[in-house]
Amino acid sequence: MNFEAIIGIEIHVQQKTKSKMFSAAPNGFSRDPNTQIAPLDMAYPGTMPVVNKQAVINAIRVANALHMEIDHTLYFDRKNYFYSDLPKGFQITQQARPIGKNGYVMVAVPGGMKKIRIERIHMEEDTCKQEHFMDYSLLDYNRAGVPLCEIVSMPDIANGTEAREYAEAIRNIVVYSGTSDGKMEEGSMRCDTNVSIRPYGQKAFGTKVEVKNINSFKNVELAIDYEIKRQSQLLLQGKKIQQETRRWDEASGRTVLMRVKTDAVDYKYFCEPNITPIHMSDEFIQKAIETCPELYDSKKERYLKMGLSETDVEVILANPKTAAYFEEGVPFVQNAKNLANFLIVEINSYLNKNGITIQELELSPKTLGEIVTMQEKGGLSHKQCVDILNKVLEEGVSPEEAKKDLKIVAQVSDTDTILKFVKEALDNNPQSIADFKAGNQRVLGFLVGQVMKASHGKVNPAEVSRLLREELEKR
Amino acid sequence: MNYLDLSIRELHEALLAKKVTPLELTEEALKRAHENKDNAFEFIDDEGAIAFAKTLTEPEENNPLWGIPYVAKDNFSTKGIPTTASSDILKGYVPIYDATVIEKLSQAKAILIGKTTLDELAMGGSGTTGHLGKTYNPYDPEHKRQIGGSSCGSAVSVAAGIVPFALGSDTGDSVRKPASYGGLVGFKPTWGRISRYGLFPFAPSLDHVAYFTRDVYSSAVLLDVLAGRDNHDSTSSNRPIECYEEDLDKPVAGWKVAVIKQILDSISNEEIKNHFIHSIECLKEAGITVDFVDFDNKLLESLYATYMVISCAEATSNDANLDGIKFGPFKEGKTYQEVMFNARNEGFSELIKRRFVIGSYCLMSENQEELFLRAQRNRAKIVEKTNAILKDYDFIYVPAAPSVAPSFDSASDRLSDEYLIADNHLALGNFAGLPSITLPLFLENGLPVGINFMGRAFEEKKLFQMANAFEKLSGLKDLSVNNKKEGNL
Amino acid sequence: MKKITKEVLTDAANRLLFTMSDEQYAKLEDEFKILIKQMEKIGEISDLDRYEPMTFPFDCTTTFMREDVPEEPLPREVALKNAGSKQDEQIKLPKVVL
Repeated sequence: MNFEAIIGIEIHVQQKTKSKMFSAAPNGFSRDPNTQIAPLDMAYPGTMPVVNKQAVINAIRVANALHMEIDHTLYFDRKNYFYSDLPKGFQITQQARPIGKNGYVMVAVPGGMKKIRIERIHMEEDTCKQEHFMDYSLLDYNRAGVPLCEIVSMPDIANGTEAREYAEAIRNIVVYSGTSDGKMEEGSMRCDTNVSIRPYGQKAFGTKVEVKNINSFKNVELAIDYEIKRQSQLLLQGKKIQQETRRWDEASGRTVLMRVKTDAVDYKYFCEPNITPIHMSDEFIQKAIETCPELYDSKKERYLKMGLSETDVEVILANPKTAAYFEEGVPFVQNAKNLANFLIVEINSYLNKNGITIQELELSPKTLGEIVTMQEKGGLSHKQCVDILNKVLEEGVSPEEAKKDLKIVAQVSDTDTILKFVKEALDNNPQSIADFKAGNQRVLGFLVGQVMKASHGKVNPAEVSRLLREELEKR
Repeated sequence: MNYLDLSIRELHEALLAKKVTPLELTEEALKRAHENKDNAFEFIDDEGAIAFAKTLTEPEENNPLWGIPYVAKDNFSTKGIPTTASSDILKGYVPIYDATVIEKLSQAKAILIGKTTLDELAMGGSGTTGHLGKTYNPYDPEHKRQIGGSSCGSAVSVAAGIVPFALGSDTGDSVRKPASYGGLVGFKPTWGRISRYGLFPFAPSLDHVAYFTRDVYSSAVLLDVLAGRDNHDSTSSNRPIECYEEDLDKPVAGWKVAVIKQILDSISNEEIKNHFIHSIECLKEAGITVDFVDFDNKLLESLYATYMVISCAEATSNDANLDGIKFGPFKEGKTYQEVMFNARNEGFSELIKRRFVIGSYCLMSENQEELFLRAQRNRAKIVEKTNAILKDYDFIYVPAAPSVAPSFDSASDRLSDEYLIADNHLALGNFAGLPSITLPLFLENGLPVGINFMGRAFEEKKLFQMANAFEKLSGLKDLSVNNKKEGNL
Repeated sequence: MKKITKEVLTDAANRLLFTMSDEQYAKLEDEFKILIKQMEKIGEISDLDRYEPMTFPFDCTTTFMREDVPEEPLPREVALKNAGSKQDEQIKLPKVVL
């Protein structure tokens, strides 16, 4: 029997606003627990929520990128439940009226693109962070109240690869719109997946299993494929799938039972009375959209037009900071592709070697552009430019100083000058001409060497080689 | 009589003339607070009040609250001053920030001398359910009568002449009803006119910061200070504030007042009825048109159930933050659930627990439509009807309560089968968020009875003008247990 | 609507993290009887469905949103001042089992 999988994904994205969703406490990562708190974040009696404008703007931008209908009036609701990490005993969310609904995103699948529909996007607030020890837990309220966007897909996803592609597409949008860091490894983006399977042809849905605690994009794929396999095997063995929540265990590469779902929790939602409805004008929404930083897909298209390969584009866009660096350097070079090469190979290996990020790189995009230009217009070879770059990186000197220190001189490509050296070399080595005529190709290398020596390496070796052949034919 | 029995205006003049100093006033207020036997205080801040009073040496001419002592209901967040909302769940809690109104009064250099008792978490109308027990009506030295609630201690403080004004909160009638039993001016503004930031919520969609004074002028002057937009409370209004006392003495002739017939009819106390009808005649003589208008009886009878469902539902959620983890007494347990359970189980009284179960039940998904949402729909209908009356009339005028202060043993459970419209109608002002003021009408055997005017949203200035005209008619300005009067109505 | 029984009320109370005495549950059942009856009466009001559930007493729609400007956070000792169980600058609870 063959099964088809039906997968829906709920993604929570932590917004990187400057302050929290409903309080003005700083929204900044801090290693010091309980230092980023306003009274509201610990639910001190009498405190009241006030909506963060930037969090709304971010949500509008993401909703727009996901082709959603945007509600012009914001309402919030209370989701009531007790949990140790929930200071107020309720979470403020948007249950009845999400800011965006009915959207989609296109993701790459073998043989083309697939449309994954998105049910809703809404704003809410994060809970406090719990650290668990042997027999106790510690609570840090720094995270309490951090703005979240929750994006809920329709069950349009068919397998692990599509799920990963979907999650990456969402990541690209939230990262490039400036909404979030989108880092699954650090928890700034969290994917909860619902997986069910059914025999092909069956109309009714199978029992849904929730898989949580997935900490990377790769693991989204692995966890879902594992879960599909697990459920298929159960059904093939004639066993039942129970409605449960499982967690991805990275070490064993399996999903592990967390809890069996009994009756659904009743969250007793009702409209938050401490936030009056907020009307957003067309102008406000339009401005939020128009001022949205350029998104991934648009950048990709633009970079491809600059002549970059698909792979190079993906490498650069994998990190928005790299992309920003790249774009800053482009005006200083003739061909963006050359800049991309330096960035992807030399700069990346330098960053890796030194364990730093591109933001920590002291070399400005302009200076890198100057070095690239030395190759493009200054007659230096790629190798020479790499030497200059490394000296600049290591010693902090200017490219010109590095070039001088390294005694690098521009290659001569002028045919007449080179021809002079070539003729001289041939005149001085008649035996080599004879050997060449007799079929010994290797003398060519010797002759090139002679030319390079005589010219102190200033001439372009490729050009030397070409002219040598021409002259040898003539003699 | 003493300076503390004077109104804010007269006190201000005395302070300007340096006949009395803020320190002397404060010491006297503290003395009266300590001597009071009505169980009005959760905390008396001798140290803080005296220290602050000592800093006030140069009177400020244009600051009518300069150096004047006051008290606040113990559900306002006061930095460094214990605040319990009269519940064991908050025993020992010391807030870390000031409510906006507390901050405004502090900037106006009014002197907070203490925090007053209330019905536990402001959920009650009798002034009996706080963790310190009953609060007594100062008009009854035998301690047999309620002052009413939930702002019981604040009402006592003003009626007993401890302070000239007191902050309270009003979700159903929690200031305006006790004002009636205490012979006071009890005022709540339009919803959103005064910031609620720092007021412990009971039911935010109905909650108002409200207050007691002994005269209309003081009430109006206080609104000058307390009103206004506060970016900590997103529900606070952006409308410009006004000088609420400037038109107090302007003529009111020509205004139209509606008396809701069914509310008057529901009152069985003939003496109250007669005095009220007499007051109507006096208003007419003053050139005011007074008409009896109808209000669907079914709707009036539904007020209490509607109020119960909405307020309990909101309250159960608001008070979910009370778990002993972040503040309030921490209770040991083997699991975090036990920790929270023990704190809540020991911290809340049985009455509060019942209210929470009611609220929670009304919000359950399978019950919401028939209970919570139905109550919210009914609220919309009630509000529509109320506003329809106020389209044709400037004010709605009704007795504030059906009786003088009830005795403790006669007090019935309000959730009883007998509807008493006149005991619950002040909630109209909370449902519709309208400004509403209670004033003394007369004294029945030495016990005060009040009336209530309710005006259109944000027409506080006009409401004070009407109230001031009424105060002149009644002759009951500055009424207190130390300053008993007969009155003219 | 869920039928009101002692079990339902006990469960509701437990979910609110407290319990009550038998006497209180009995009292609560009585209160519910009255309340439900009153709410049923309200349900008979003919055109009630015409009304949207009301949260805000009047139209108070705003355009205000807070600018995203962080304010000085609470000093840690102030934030944790009222907490009864602390360790390592954090609030300590019995181990929370996921």
